[in-house]
Amino acid sequence: MTASTVTDLPPDSASPPAKPERIDGRHLRSERTKRLIIEAYMALVRESSPRVPTAAEIAERAGYSVRSIFERFPDLQALRLAATDQAIADARATNAPRDLPADRATRLRAQVEIRGRGCDQWLPMWRVLNSNSADSAELQERIRMTRSLILRRIELVFKPELSTLPDAERSRTVLAIEALTDFESWARMREFFGLSFDEACAAWVRAIDSLLPPTPAGAS
Amino acid sequence: MEAVLPAPSSPKTPRIDGRRLRSERTKQLIIEAFLALVREDPKLPTAVQIAERAGYSVRSIFERFPDLNALRVAATDYGLAQAAALAPARNVDGSRQTRIESQVETRAQTCERGIALWRVLLNSQDESDELKLRVRRARETTITRLELMYKPELSTLAEPERRDMLIALEALTDIESWARMRELHGLPYDEARAVWTYAIDRLLPPTPAAKP
Repeated sequence: MTASTVTDLPPDSASPPAKPERIDGRHLRSERTKRLIIEAYMALVRESSPRVPTAAEIAERAGYSVRSIFERFPDLQALRLAATDQAIADARATNAPRDLPADRATRLRAQVEIRGRGCDQWLPMWRVLNSNSADSAELQERIRMTRSLILRRIELVFKPELSTLPDAERSRTVLAIEALTDFESWARMREFFGLSFDEACAAWVRAIDSLLPPTPAGAS
Repeated sequence: MEAVLPAPSSPKTPRIDGRRLRSERTKQLIIEAFLALVREDPKLPTAVQIAERAGYSVRSIFERFPDLNALRVAATDYGLAQAAALAPARNVDGSRQTRIESQVETRAQTCERGIALWRVLLNSQDESDELKLRVRRARETTITRLELMYKPELSTLAEPERRDMLIALEALTDIESWARMRELHGLPYDEARAVWTYAIDRLLPPTPAAKP
């Protein structure tokens, strides 16, 4: 702490001058610990979904004590919620729509591949989220938000085709595509029917292509 | 001495049958209590809750079912048999539109009645190979029904298009797809049916001309 720092302080400040930096460092470390705990939770979910990992398992994987977890999250439900928010943010960042101005076949292929990869990556988290949401309005809200994002993506990617339909048919088509490309629909293709990633994508491409009306002239 | 004694089963048979019948009835009431609780709250009910609802002791449950998983399996078998009995295939030889409407109506009713048990089954299947097998069988039954109802259209497709068509129809008419339309999107029963009818009609290839 230097004299000049003290002098620069606003007269009504109750904080000693050098403390903000030290507090920031602690805050950063705490945030990093939080992030590592969330990542440990997510890694365990990927391995053991739909079973929910225990606090001891999460602590061991993250390399912290159980106490460290509960210093940062009031309970496991809060950790689950933070991990869900992280997963939604990660999925939005990595699965951004691409090839939007492209032709129908390119948009279709891109949407299906992005969705397929998203399902492969996030299915375990999705299952844990669904199996634990009954007692949590916040988790239910995250499910609703995720489904709403999926619907909006469908509307965006297939806007040229959907724009040719009257309201009722447009809404039916969007709901049908949403049902078809649900997480569990993807899981069944991979786990129940034993399809490879490419085969599963091809099945979705065919089905969505049948559901969509012709692309209007002049649209990409 | 053996010659004097009555044949072991002759006079006793009616008493044994009566006991057995009562025991079967108790078993049935326990299963129905389990299913009723699941319908009210799609979580696994405890033995105490089941016993209370059925009007028996917890001991009565475990005299008839070695554990709760065995009860869950028995309830699943009962629920699936009931669903199959209430959903016979109708209008198999009807026109395309008639078949689509008939299949959608039957499937919608099955979904309305069965969603609670199905969710419990899905959430519990990882704890039991027997439940996993029931989930697989239920899906196979759904696919077999789709093959039957849309045989004319499916017969025009070669593999893997035929397989992919069945996968799409199964995904579209999945029980959770129905539940989302009703619970999340708030669609009335008839509008949810209309979504399926519209989408199936778009998905299916043209119906081949009938052979003379």
